[in-house]
Amino acid sequence: MKSFKGWSLVAFTLTILLIVSGCSDSASGDSTREMGDKSGRGSGNGKDKLVIGLDDDPPQLDPHLSSTAVDRQVLHSLFDKLVDIDEDMNIVPKLAKDWDISDDNQTYTFYLQEGVVFHDGTPFNAEAVKFNFDRMLDPAMGSPRYGEVEQVEQVNVIDELTVEVQLKTPFSPFLGDLTDRAGMMLSPTAVKESGEDFSRHPVGTGPYQFVERELQSHIKVSRFDEYWGEPAIIKDVLYKPYTDENIRLTNLISGDVDMITVVGFKDIKKIEGNSAVKLSAKEGRGFLGLHLNPAKAPFNNKDFREAINIAIDRQAITNVVYHGAALPAVSAFPPASWAHNPSLEVPKGDLTKAKSLLEKSGIKDPSFTIKVKPVETDKQMAEMVQSMLQEIGVTVNVEMQEIGSLLSSAIAGDYEALYLGWDGRTDPDGSVSRFFMSNGYNNYAKVNNPEIDKLLTDARVSLDQEERKKIYQRFSEVVFDEANYIFLVHIDENKAMKTNVNGFIHYPDGMIRPDRIYFD
Amino acid sequence: MMEQVQKGEITSVKTEYPRIRLMKEMLQRLLENKLAVVGGVFTILLIFLALFPGVVATHSHTEQDYSAVLVPPSAAHWFGTDELGRDLFSRVIYGATTSLKAGLISVGIALGIGLPIGMLSGYFRGVWDEFLIMRITDAMLSFPPLVLALTLVAVFGAGLENAMIAIGLVLTPSFMRLIRGEVLAHREKEYVEAARASGLPSWRILFIHILPNTIAPIIVQATLAIAAAIITEASLSYLGLGTQPPTPSWGSMLSTGQGYLEQAPWLGLFPGLFIFITVLSINLFGDGIRDMFDSKLK
Amino acid sequence: MFYFLLRRFSLMVVVLLLVSIIIFSLLNILPGDPAMLILGQESSPEALEALREKMGLNDPLPVQYLHWLTDSLQGDFGKSLRDNNDVTAILLKKVPITIQLAFMSFAIAVLIAVPAAIISATRKGTSLDYLSTFFSLSGVSFPPFWLGILLILIFSVGLGWLPPSGFVSLAENPVRSVLLMLMPALALGIRLAAELTRMLRSSLLEVLQSDYIRTGYAKGLMERAVVFKHALRNSLIPVITISGLQFATLIGGVVIIETIFSIPGIGQLVYSAILARDFPVVQGAVMMMAFSVVIINFMVDITYSILDPRIKVGGER
Repeated sequence: MKSFKGWSLVAFTLTILLIVSGCSDSASGDSTREMGDKSGRGSGNGKDKLVIGLDDDPPQLDPHLSSTAVDRQVLHSLFDKLVDIDEDMNIVPKLAKDWDISDDNQTYTFYLQEGVVFHDGTPFNAEAVKFNFDRMLDPAMGSPRYGEVEQVEQVNVIDELTVEVQLKTPFSPFLGDLTDRAGMMLSPTAVKESGEDFSRHPVGTGPYQFVERELQSHIKVSRFDEYWGEPAIIKDVLYKPYTDENIRLTNLISGDVDMITVVGFKDIKKIEGNSAVKLSAKEGRGFLGLHLNPAKAPFNNKDFREAINIAIDRQAITNVVYHGAALPAVSAFPPASWAHNPSLEVPKGDLTKAKSLLEKSGIKDPSFTIKVKPVETDKQMAEMVQSMLQEIGVTVNVEMQEIGSLLSSAIAGDYEALYLGWDGRTDPDGSVSRFFMSNGYNNYAKVNNPEIDKLLTDARVSLDQEERKKIYQRFSEVVFDEANYIFLVHIDENKAMKTNVNGFIHYPDGMIRPDRIYFD
Repeated sequence: MMEQVQKGEITSVKTEYPRIRLMKEMLQRLLENKLAVVGGVFTILLIFLALFPGVVATHSHTEQDYSAVLVPPSAAHWFGTDELGRDLFSRVIYGATTSLKAGLISVGIALGIGLPIGMLSGYFRGVWDEFLIMRITDAMLSFPPLVLALTLVAVFGAGLENAMIAIGLVLTPSFMRLIRGEVLAHREKEYVEAARASGLPSWRILFIHILPNTIAPIIVQATLAIAAAIITEASLSYLGLGTQPPTPSWGSMLSTGQGYLEQAPWLGLFPGLFIFITVLSINLFGDGIRDMFDSKLK
Repeated sequence: MFYFLLRRFSLMVVVLLLVSIIIFSLLNILPGDPAMLILGQESSPEALEALREKMGLNDPLPVQYLHWLTDSLQGDFGKSLRDNNDVTAILLKKVPITIQLAFMSFAIAVLIAVPAAIISATRKGTSLDYLSTFFSLSGVSFPPFWLGILLILIFSVGLGWLPPSGFVSLAENPVRSVLLMLMPALALGIRLAAELTRMLRSSLLEVLQSDYIRTGYAKGLMERAVVFKHALRNSLIPVITISGLQFATLIGGVVIIETIFSIPGIGQLVYSAILARDFPVVQGAVMMMAFSVVIINFMVDITYSILDPRIKVGGER
């Protein structure tokens, strides 16, 4: 009896082990085959493969459904836009080689490049453009692009290569919107074939075409040989996700990653001190700051909002949290933007003035809660604000919410202060109207300020940049004065790459267009 | 994370001696166990820290000094400073309050729910016990504890209070099961039969007669559960869902520290060391108590 | 015996149903709208509504639950809200990775625990025994994530022996794969080893004091032989039990260890899916975890009852 006990136990243990090892065996067997295929095709002589380390696994490769920045990194190699930006954020031709804008700023006529084909052989023409706009405008799609193209009344095909877009109202930011996902052109054939699954076989006209994807592991794209423009230099591009910034960096410095799209601020010095890698830094076009909720105490008091606005020392936050790789902010537009207002001065943490404003506000023992994402830099920023405001007698609580709950709180107006920024858009309008117009999607506190609405509408109608500039400068003053949103910093756009990576052009939108990159 | 808890089940005590002599004997046995004594002394020290952190801390635990960011350990800052120039030693000391509070309160919650339900369920048995309480307990115990705690905190929202509730709920089923088992074992014993025969009401039998006899395994399990709860709170804070800034929590300090392993390893060292010492002391002490109650293993 | 099995089995089904109901209702009271999460700050009310409709989030809860239940019984856990991929396919990709980690941790645990327990039990009361008790209690007291950080500090930052973290599949590069997983497996395994040592020590002690071992002594068998042949074999019962119980903890520990070491297994999947409110993925993954825990406990129960006829029909004491 006793030995029976023992042996059946051994048998039991062995069975478990067999099952376990059986599972892992069959699994690894599969991937061996895949890997074998890959190395057979891929590695030739020297380097013909660029490995880009992303900060996350892109959720969507359908530009019309995409809503994250990390998607865009991949999309920019697969899809061409109607128009693009250059290094200085000027709008330049891409799939549209030229365009006309009617005097009333409501009709845009695009003249398309000839000889362009999608990766699946479908010719690119005016019909395709119309197809793409209709898809974004289809309410059943629930496309995040809707907000960018909702001004479109209709799209008319004039001839094979001429297409006319009619807007409901004058809307000068329109071209700016087309430099990103709203302007990306998808193959109508592929969309009709794969429907919902388009994201898994994306087909565009870009310099690279989609090859394969393994979730959480890599996305592989390859040079498109029938590309209408100059063909890509490097044959294969591999995108790999690394959510942890330390690991991303380690893989850049000592692994097989050639470039990374997001660099941790604390690591900048380390990169600058390492000869194997180099940093490319560009002034960012977005902003970070605090939404204050004027519908709730204590922020229903304007003096109080103002006190908070001037009490926060932006320079200190820039230095400590962002290790100097940022600029202190006073408006939505960084100094490099044409809409910037140089006469607005960045508050330096004037505690005396803040205290007197606080007194004027009449609030006793003020306190409020900042909601932030559980992200290290956001947390540090909140703790710094907490400590700065403590000096003028304001108690700040910090509550961390993951982005999902945070956005829900935002939309529901369930917050006192909220730390959320925006990565900026080509046209100034795309950076501000969603936050500050009374009907803006991201106007979480539903602030209705007729002057702001009028200014932003005027800026949309005008096509004259000088005139628009004056409007935006006035706008920045009003927003600063109202202090419903406290602008804190414009963080730099950083990319890091191995020293032998050359030809990288740092576009202001921070998106890598890999086709001009080469190894040296 | 919480497996120690389930083991309390194995312990059971047969006590029929006169109480005083027994307690004396047990205390003696506890004092003979050197590891338990060490654990006990450290636990008392940590409780002192948690109650009076200000006495020991050398600096303010929230004051930021942007000119002294990430300074290595020195005479001025024993454990160095953190990414915002705060004194790490003082923050670690204040972290004791958070940790011990989390441990005690969440176990309190678990006992508060688990004790009455477990007792009633074990004493009255029946359909409720068999098909509801026990199956729900089984179901809850088949979740990996941290995953359940994580989901609960996501439901309640981040924060120390919510984390304590979540941890309490995760710990509840094992207490329920332990107490139910104990009551079940005792309800058929002679002294209970006698009490029942003499017509005592059920609640009296349960709480005056059975409860004192089941207290030993409950104490053992509670001690070990406190240790487990401390680790779980630290884990949740590490993942950003526990204690909120600027309240110092060892878990969130570690999560910050992990980003600076190369530049400032002390950030990842000291908070963890304190979690370790705290949990180890409580475990050593709890282990000693277990042996004290249960002579079988010695 | 047959009735016992039947009863056990039906109980298991009930438990699994309860598990699915608990996780389903928990997820549905989670604040945070998955549609909102997908669209982020770019959401317009129209887009949000359309997406919710498409994801079936507008159906009444019981309807959603029944849909999910019938599908999952056929092995279809639905599609990820985040990237529209089959949850079952995602899980199948992640499972081998976590199994590799679990297997390596278990191996490390056994390698440490068996000798430690034997030493400790055969030299009961000596300083060696004390030391082993102390170490096993230390192992239990390590917060697993700190252990992970410590290992990185020592072996990567300090000595530079091991890559700090990351993952390569066994097939791609077996050596590097095992190397990369050494630290995470240690971080999990030390804990497990500590538990096993404690259990094995006390059950060894019990067996060593039992009559038949004493007979072994009387017959003049060597001490070593006694320990190995009889005691160890018989003390495996509680060890298997505890391994079963430990399984849930091991899986829970995997969440945090995979997060620290960036191992794309089930644990990291669950954590990121909870944060992303990717309900189908959380449901699928947690169900799978709970399922394996329940199955393992069921098997432990069965083995136990075969081995020890005293535990029968009543089941619970």
